[in-house]
Amino acid sequence: MEKSSLNKYVKFGLVVFMSVGLILFTQEIKLLKNPESTPVSSMTIWGLLVLWLFSMVGIVISDLAKKVPIGFIQNFPVLGWVSITSLVSCMLSDTFIKAISAVDFLSITTPILTFAGISVVDRLADLRKTSWKVAIVAVFVFIGTYVGSALLSQIGLMVTGH
Amino acid sequence: MKKNFILFLIFALAVITIAEFIGFQRIPLGPIAINLLPLVFAILITMVLGMAIFRKGIFKKIYSEKNVSFAGKYLIFIMLPLMARYGADVAPKLQEILQIGWIFLIQEIGNLGTVLLGLPVAIFLGLRREAIGATLGLGREGELAYISEKYTLDSDEGRGVLSLYIIGTLFGAVFFSIFAPIMLHLGFRVEALAMASGMGSGSMMTAASSSLAASMPGMESTIIAYASASQLLTSFLGTFTMVFLAVPLQQLMYKLMVRGEKPWKKAA
Repeated sequence: MEKSSLNKYVKFGLVVFMSVGLILFTQEIKLLKNPESTPVSSMTIWGLLVLWLFSMVGIVISDLAKKVPIGFIQNFPVLGWVSITSLVSCMLSDTFIKAISAVDFLSITTPILTFAGISVVDRLADLRKTSWKVAIVAVFVFIGTYVGSALLSQIGLMVTGH
Repeated sequence: MKKNFILFLIFALAVITIAEFIGFQRIPLGPIAINLLPLVFAILITMVLGMAIFRKGIFKKIYSEKNVSFAGKYLIFIMLPLMARYGADVAPKLQEILQIGWIFLIQEIGNLGTVLLGLPVAIFLGLRREAIGATLGLGREGELAYISEKYTLDSDEGRGVLSLYIIGTLFGAVFFSIFAPIMLHLGFRVEALAMASGMGSGSMMTAASSSLAASMPGMESTIIAYASASQLLTSFLGTFTMVFLAVPLQQLMYKLMVRGEKPWKKAA
């Protein structure tokens, strides 16, 4: 039991490590293409290590939360726990913010969408099962949630005079 | 097995390199410009090359069953550093965000737009119970779980939500990376659009907020902070908005719109 859960964390640790490695690679490539983008400094390396650390702490918290007998806490996604871990740590110390800010934001996104693309390829065949009607509805559903939220925020911002 | 995985990693690096070298592209369409970020090229390249007709030779090895399931199983973990980055973006702006916290709260209600706009369109197109599943929300994990619990996935409602899930997974990120900047051109405030970007789907939020940031580089930190704060709020409140607001609203609208037809099937 002990050993298998340790193995699980080693595996998660390696996957997250691969992820931050890909971010570093992307940031280097971005620099090759545009020398004026965010430079890779020793702060960047610290930033990536901090991102790795917060991710791992979030994973552990998420596992512990599954033992709390409150549905709402049990079901809170690991993605949320990681953000909260990072938010609280960054409130406590500016050093974390400085390190993380040395990691280029868009360089984080390209590797994620690369994996997202690979992960969905077997679903492409499922598209045949969906009707064109649902596809049209989907467009309006997407527009509906986005415009709905944007309108309410816009009104809110206008009311407060921002 | 191991060899395939190494090939897979090299392939990922190659896709990233190509996507980054294509870079940020601005395609003007009349008065509006469509922004395409490297992340859009990354998802398009990997999806197109993964289509059945290309899965031969080396691509068959790259897109092996094991590699594709690895990408699916660990996608969440690959996203974690991004979520950790959000903490650093929100922290310096937390005060500002709390000051207008009520706006963040009310814009959560805007997620009802899926029902308000989607349901009439679905009914108009002739969909009935399928529309219940397809318009309850963005069709992510939350809606999937709710519908499958209430109706099972092997029902019309279930098929509706599953279809939306598939379409969102495949095209959601690309859609929002194009749609968010269009809204900016239509005159919406970038802060409002940033808040709206936190819709509950990580990849759609990333696509929407990064293409906004690329359109207004000076506002990057505000955009990312607002989007991720709103996303975090959605992960707290999303289920409540769905169960207490979206579901009753949807039932009411459904009843009004299909009046005179087969009665609404009461579900347990």
